Amino acid sequence: MNERVTLAHGAGGQQTTELIDRVFKAHFSNPDFTADDAAVLTLDAGRLAFTTDGFIVSPCEFPGGNIGKLSICGTVNDLSCMGAKPLYMTCAFVIEEGFPMETLERIAAAMAATAKEAGVRIVAGDTKVAGRGQVDGVFITTTGIGRVMEKANLSGSRAKAGDAVIVSGDIGRHGCTILLARNEFGIEAPDVKSDCAPLWSTVEPILRAVPGIHVIRDATRGGVGTVLYEIAGQSRVGICLDAASVPVAPGVRGVCGMLGLEPLYLACEGRIVIFAPKESAPEIVKTLRSCPGSEDAAVIGEVTEEDPGKVVMLTEIGAKTLLPRPGGELLPRIC
Amino acid sequence: MKSAREIIDSYDGRPLRIMEVCGTHTHEIFRLGIRRILPPGLKLISGPGCPVCVTPCGYIDEAVSLALEKNAVICTFGDLIRVPGSNMSLASARSRGAEIRTVYSPLDALELAQSDPDRQVVFLSVGFETTTPGSCLAVRKAAERGVKNFSILSANKTMPRAYEALKGSADAFLYPGHVSVMTGTALYERLCAEGVSGIVTGFTADEILTALAAVVELSRSGKPFFRNCYPRVVRPEGNPAAVRLMDQVMEPCDAEWRGLGMIPGSGLKFRDRFAPFDARVKFGISELRGRDNPACSCGRILRGECMPPDCPLFGKVCTPAHPAGACMVSGEGACSAFYQYGEKIDE
Repeated sequence: MNERVTLAHGAGGQQTTELIDRVFKAHFSNPDFTADDAAVLTLDAGRLAFTTDGFIVSPCEFPGGNIGKLSICGTVNDLSCMGAKPLYMTCAFVIEEGFPMETLERIAAAMAATAKEAGVRIVAGDTKVAGRGQVDGVFITTTGIGRVMEKANLSGSRAKAGDAVIVSGDIGRHGCTILLARNEFGIEAPDVKSDCAPLWSTVEPILRAVPGIHVIRDATRGGVGTVLYEIAGQSRVGICLDAASVPVAPGVRGVCGMLGLEPLYLACEGRIVIFAPKESAPEIVKTLRSCPGSEDAAVIGEVTEEDPGKVVMLTEIGAKTLLPRPGGELLPRIC
Repeated sequence: MKSAREIIDSYDGRPLRIMEVCGTHTHEIFRLGIRRILPPGLKLISGPGCPVCVTPCGYIDEAVSLALEKNAVICTFGDLIRVPGSNMSLASARSRGAEIRTVYSPLDALELAQSDPDRQVVFLSVGFETTTPGSCLAVRKAAERGVKNFSILSANKTMPRAYEALKGSADAFLYPGHVSVMTGTALYERLCAEGVSGIVTGFTADEILTALAAVVELSRSGKPFFRNCYPRVVRPEGNPAAVRLMDQVMEPCDAEWRGLGMIPGSGLKFRDRFAPFDARVKFGISELRGRDNPACSCGRILRGECMPPDCPLFGKVCTPAHPAGACMVSGEGACSAFYQYGEKIDE
């Protein structure tokens, strides 16, 4: 099948209806997904979390996922990090004229499967087609709404001296996967796959098991290193990172060694960084390790009063040095 | 037997200045925090081993002029793009419409030329014995394939004459592991006979600490020394095939080093029969003499005469986001490493 998306598919006429019926309705079907102009939803009382995110990853399919899966995970994970159970999502597509229909179907199927896994309903969407060269393949924007768990009180400004810093698994896999998928280096690493995953099923158990968690943030663009600097700044605390305890898969470490990259700055799409009082760290790590995909969860550092706004790294020889601030040419089009 | 760390920790002899010559060593030394654990008698200084840092300003001017005036597609390793030229960097040239592409190998640039025969493609070749064979290979293949729209703007350098120019800057050198893979160790034996001490070493924490411990131990005798502490990778004879390839395509010439000035015989240019691939010949440009920021101390830093924080521009007008000098641009430059890893954490 070499059917392709044409400008007519975005013109609002019969072909648009066909595209929506065949690709999107076929996959996203649920009672709240109607043909009306907007979804009408009834929500229980309580606090809501509401967020939006755009996805332009290149290539749009990669080992471990595709832009569709990523677009659900990204928004689901942002909601989850606020302690919110993801409930409803919308998605908007900008598709390049000539984009293969078969690929679009795979993307929609991945979105449906990931939404199901995350327990979220896709209730509205939009499709536009742009002329060839005006976008690259397909761009997706998703918006999501979720209900915040009653006792959750999470914010990047709540990290406190004495908190342990915990990461939910090995880091840098998504960034490394995308880098290799672009085939610019002639390196093959078959065991390196994106960690892209929806994380509510990881966040909910730890919030239930351990009250009083201060911060949860997903490490996406800029990786764990960027999250540490964000939280150090937002909470006005110092962070001491124990470099040797940061979990990195051997394949990722190998690729980083060859290309001179620091895994701490490589994107993840299925990893969270948690800040919580030190005493609760063992319980959090234990709970995380019982969640699929988080078997390598580990404490990687602690929050200090000294050096506010800075991330100090204990290196493998036991010296303390600054973790360089992320910046400059981080890899473009990673998510 | 004492560990390398114990030997280093217990050093209480005369002050020793040890210069790491390779940018990758500089980066690893900072990343690991090695300077922070040294006793007061040991001082590490960063020498001119980062190819970007020693590339003179005029070279950037040449590349900018090829891009903007000759409309050539410029292919380069990423870290040259932000190096300031006299008037602008390649990044600013790009924002004015120049086509500047990042590549990971000179062969990528050759392929680009073959896929777009109507455009002139110029690869910016900087670096030492480690990267030069790649450029030579690209030129040889271009000649074999009869590619007419590919050329190289070369600023390749070789280390031997630089060591001679640096004699006296340090008590011992940490010689670059990767360059030595190509060149072998005969040069270091000769330098040792001339009174220059040094150690070849690798890039892990253990390898660097072992080399420092070796400097400490061998300095006791007061005689010049040389040791290869990276023997599993560096062989005395080097890589003769790579050396032959370089010799086939290029020949020595005088070269300007940012910070060190003109060093006779320290550069490489294309031999006559490969002149059609020399961008300076092809486009009829003569080597430009650039104007560095006069307040920039990169030159003195590269000679080990001062440390980055001693420069009046350091951390003020010159930062990794807005570099004024080459040592701040490259991640392997001494100023960038000082800035990013924090000389003192509490500063």
